[in-house]
Parts: sequence; C-alpha cells; structure tokens
Amino acid sequence: MNRLKASFIKELLILSRDKAGLAMLFLMPISLVLIMTLLQESTFNKLSEKQLPVLVMNHDADTFGINVVKGLKTSTFFKITESDDISKDEFIEKIEKGDYLIGIIIRKNSTTQITRSIEENIQKQFPEEVGQLFESYHDELKKPKVEIFFDPVLKNSYKQSILGSLRHYSAMVEAQLMFEIYSGLFKDMLNIELKPAGNFENLINFDEKYASSGGNTIIPNSVQHNVPAWTIFAMFFIVIPLASNIIKERNSGVSARIKTIPGSVITTSLGKASTYFVVGFIQAILMLMIGIFILPLFGLSALQIGNAAIPLLMVTIAVVIAATSYGIAIGSLSSSEQQSSIFGSISVVILAALGGVWIPSFMMSDLMLNVSKISPLSWGLNAYYDIFLRSAGIMEVLPNILLLLAFAVICFVVAYFYSRKIRV
Amino acid sequence: MTDNAIIEINKLIKRYKGSDSNAVDSLNLNIQKGEFYGLLGPNGAGKTTTISMLCGLLSPTSGQIKISGLDINYHSQKAKSIIGVVPQEIALFEDLTAKENLRFFAEMHGMKKSDFISCIDIYLDKFSLKDKANKRVKTFSGGMKRRLNLIAGILHSPQILFLDEPTVGIDVQSRNVIAEFLHEINKNGMTIIYTSHMMEEAEKLCSHISIIDFGKEIANGKPAEIIQKNENCNNLEDIFLSLTGRRVRE
Repeated sequence: MNRLKASFIKELLILSRDKAGLAMLFLMPISLVLIMTLLQESTFNKLSEKQLPVLVMNHDADTFGINVVKGLKTSTFFKITESDDISKDEFIEKIEKGDYLIGIIIRKNSTTQITRSIEENIQKQFPEEVGQLFESYHDELKKPKVEIFFDPVLKNSYKQSILGSLRHYSAMVEAQLMFEIYSGLFKDMLNIELKPAGNFENLINFDEKYASSGGNTIIPNSVQHNVPAWTIFAMFFIVIPLASNIIKERNSGVSARIKTIPGSVITTSLGKASTYFVVGFIQAILMLMIGIFILPLFGLSALQIGNAAIPLLMVTIAVVIAATSYGIAIGSLSSSEQQSSIFGSISVVILAALGGVWIPSFMMSDLMLNVSKISPLSWGLNAYYDIFLRSAGIMEVLPNILLLLAFAVICFVVAYFYSRKIRV
Repeated sequence: MTDNAIIEINKLIKRYKGSDSNAVDSLNLNIQKGEFYGLLGPNGAGKTTTISMLCGLLSPTSGQIKISGLDINYHSQKAKSIIGVVPQEIALFEDLTAKENLRFFAEMHGMKKSDFISCIDIYLDKFSLKDKANKRVKTFSGGMKRRLNLIAGILHSPQILFLDEPTVGIDVQSRNVIAEFLHEINKNGMTIIYTSHMMEEAEKLCSHISIIDFGKEIANGKPAEIIQKNENCNNLEDIFLSLTGRRVRE
C-alpha cells in the first residue's frame, strides 16, 4: 500500500510541475470544446432547429394564396417573409444574394385557375345529358403555377421539405375549393343547402415523441454532442504525458532502479495509473461543468446530463481506465518519447475521428459508421449519448462499459508482457 | 556455499537475443561478506550485464546466482531486500526535489517515515546537499546528482551495494567524497560490488578485484597480489592494459 501511495504522490508531484502537460490536459480540451461547440452550433441548428428563410411573393389575394402563405407561416421549419411590392428580378436577386434560401411566387388568379380546373374535372364526371354545369374557359387559364427559386447551396432534403409543405397546403386548399363547388352543385341541382365546410386540416394526428425511456426529450445539439465528445478526447489525451513519463523513467534508469527494489512492478504501474485516473476524472468533471455553466454564457444551450448519475459515473470511470491503460501500453511499446508522442497523438486523433468526436456518427456513411464501432472513443461517446439523450440506465450502457474495460485489460496485458519480454 | 560468501556465481552465461556471442561467458565469482569487490574490464566486457543479473534486472541464459545463499531465480524478492543499487545512469526524478526523490525510494523500500526522515537529513548533510534538499534535481550539477544517486541506493542500509561506475564524469572533490564514504560504509560491514574504469580509484578502494573481458574472468585476487604477480607492471592500470590490450574498444 505504501508503494502504491508513494508512486501515486510521486506522479502527482511530477505532473503538477509539468506546465506543458497540464496545459495539454486541461487548457487544450477546454479551448476545443468552446471553439468546436461554437463552430458547430450553426451546423447543428441547420440540422435541427434553425428556420429556413423563405421569401414569398403572393399575387393571389384569394383562397389559395392566402391559405398557402398562412400554412407556411404556421410551420416552425420556415421563416416566411412576404414581399409583394417588388419586381420579379429584384425578388430573384434576393435569393441569388443568399438573403433567402427559398423564394416562392404565387401567381395572380391562382385560386380562380384551380377552381376552373376542379370544375372541369367535375364536369367530366357527369353524363353529357346533364349539360354544361360550369362556364367554359380558355385553355391558358387552366394552368395555375407556383414558381419556386432555390439557393444553389440548399440541400436536397430542404427542397423536398418545402415542396412537401407546398403540396400539403395546396391539397388542403383544393379540397376546400372542391367542397365549395360540390356545395354549389347540390344547391343548384337538388336545392339542398349544405352547411359550411368542416375543418380539412389535420384529419390525421401525428403524435411525435422522442424514443427515450425516461421520457426526456433533449434534442441533440452542438453542446450535447461536443461536450461529451471532447471530454472523451481530453481523457484519451492522457496517453501522451503518461506514455512520455513511462519512457522518461525507462530511459533515465529509474524504472530499472525501481525493479531492483522488492515488490511487484504492477504496484508501481498502478500507482502511476491512479494518478492519471484522478486527472482524467477531474477532466471529465471540469468539462461537464463547462458544458453546464460556461457554455450558456456564450449564448449556447446548457448541457443536459440527464438524471442517471450512476451510469454516468460508471461510463466516466470506464473511459478513464481505458485511456490510462492505452497510455501505459503506448509507453511500454514505444522506444522513445518522440515515438510515443507522435504515435499517441495521431492514434488518439484517428480514433477520435472514427469514434465520431469530430463529426457525429449520425452524419457518417454506413461504411464509416461500421468502422467507427472499433474505436473505444465511440463506445464512450455512445454511452454518454445514451445517458444524456436517451436517459439510459446501467443495463443499456453496460455493453459499452464492458467494451471499454476489455480494451483496458488488453492494453494492460500487452504492456505487462511486452515489458517482461524486453527484460531479456 | 563457500565460507562467508555472500555472492556466488556459477557458470553464469548471458547471451542477448540476436547476438552470436555471450556477453557473460561461464563466469564464476565468489564474493565474501564485507569485501569491496571491484569488477573491472573494458567497455563491453560484461560488467554491467553481470551487475544487472545480480540485481535481478536481467535473466541469465544459464548458470546460477546466489545472494546470501538465496538462488535469485527462485527468491528474487528476498534477495532484492538485502541489496542496494547505484546505477551508472542518474536514476532520479529530475522534476522532484532531492528530498522528494529520497523519500520516494525510502517508501518503496518499505522504510518507516520516522526512520527515513532523519536518515535523509543525515545523508544530505554528509554529502553537502542539505541546502539543496528542496531544490529540483534538474537544477543540480553532475557531481550533486551523482552524490544523490548514491544516497538513493544506500538509504535503506542494504547488506550488499552494487555500484556501476559511481564516479564517472564528476569533479575530483565529488569523487573524493564518494570514495571516502564508500570506504567508510565498507569498513562498517557493507559488501560493495563496484565497477569502474578508474584503475587508480579501484586499486585504492577494492579489497578484491576481478578483471573480465569478453564475458570471461581473466584475473582475480587482491590488487596488491595481482600487481606482485606481474613483474613488468607497477600498478593496476598496467596490468589492466597488459591483460586486455591497448586496442580501443567500442
């Protein structure tokens, strides 16, 4: 126990005096989480919450024009700006300049044109003996047209979204107009006065819910992704000072000297690992605190950590153990500090990229999504997602915890046997 | 076990992986308790390899090492508890102070706090490091580091002390302090096994020497006896050169 304590205190003293190492362990991840969260905020907003700016020019002051614009305005997905007093060229210019991502022009007399199209179709339903039920019109009047202009950068999914909304509101107006025409026919032909049309909106209710066992509805956003992602990244960056420390001790002869002292080498390794375990744990607490208390000061939403404290603690412990063991393995396998810092940092960056730290896994292709499953950072990040967004309990995060611990055991075993092997 | 022998080495062989010759080749040594034993030889002769095997840092390819009657292959922990090692390198933590370094090694040896606190102060004072006790090792001169390196190896009062070139690269004053101290602790009963390239120093300090080359022992005995046996040699250095040749090694 004394050896463990001595080793722990020694590591703590050395680390506390390593200003560059401390900066790398604390300042770098704090800066990264702030910068990346702010940078990705708009991207995440575009993906989830931000309203698309839409410019509408409505020249149809009738049922169709009024109801379509009204419908679009009720959508939380679009920010509608009406501009009826500018020329078409000025209208297009605003889209070209990027002021609006979508432009919609509803032509004059659209309602009349739709009505005439419906009348013509109804007329076809009746036998010829009934005669002409409606006035006959010229062909050119039967082409109602809504012109839509898209910013070239607009993703296809947004185009489909606005087209879908337009079709939805158009269908409602068509149904309403059809009902009015049939009402007129009933009155003219059967002398039956129908009551005003009922509500054609929302005949089917879509009940939207997030699949979360605890009933939480936390929306994944920049903060919810970046804080856990960079926390894990920071914890894995322990690898660099830890591996460097191991090599420094080996090259200076200190570790050989320690081996001449009775007692297990594992005790001293555990003492070293304990120090970095504590550091990793402090990093995690610090980063989560930044997510909760500091990020809102920058106009970002506060990190929601859910209410699953025990699973959160267990996942954090598993991530730190995995990171520490990885550091010990890198330190044992590398022959120089330079080699360990290059391999350590590059491998962590690659594992972070694969694990969805830089780019969230839900934005990855199927191939990369499968590849990402080999990264321990992905196991940690998915476990945090489960806790923060899906209110997961211990059983739900247990597979990822076990994967992280298995990774830690493999790293430790590799380090131990390699160290024995080089003791030729 | 020979009478009073504290270290026995029988047919010790060490061949490193990939090497086509033995670094230590059928070496037999018998070191008596209380001796100041000099293990001398040119670079690459096998001195450090032998010391490393005696300390349990390297496994022998074959042969037997007994320390205080304990076969190191089977009782390495017990054997380690009676030895102290002062390696050739400055095996200290550069970012810790002198006191923190010594405290760490004392605790690793299982010393009680009450024991090592006073012990550390005594040794720091003895080696003129008291006023540097709370300074980080990286600020020390070469001589200061060597002295502290020695203290770290003897703090727990081992029965056997292995010293691998303890005075290399330091000034005359530091070398003198170390030599005097080693002489003193040997007189008080500590067995010392020492490697060095300083023939004059070895001649003065050692009660027994063994010269090895290419892993084999080529001379063994008390320094004065060895010198006497070789008529054309006036000192240990002459004998060393006549036995190992004047050709530069490594």
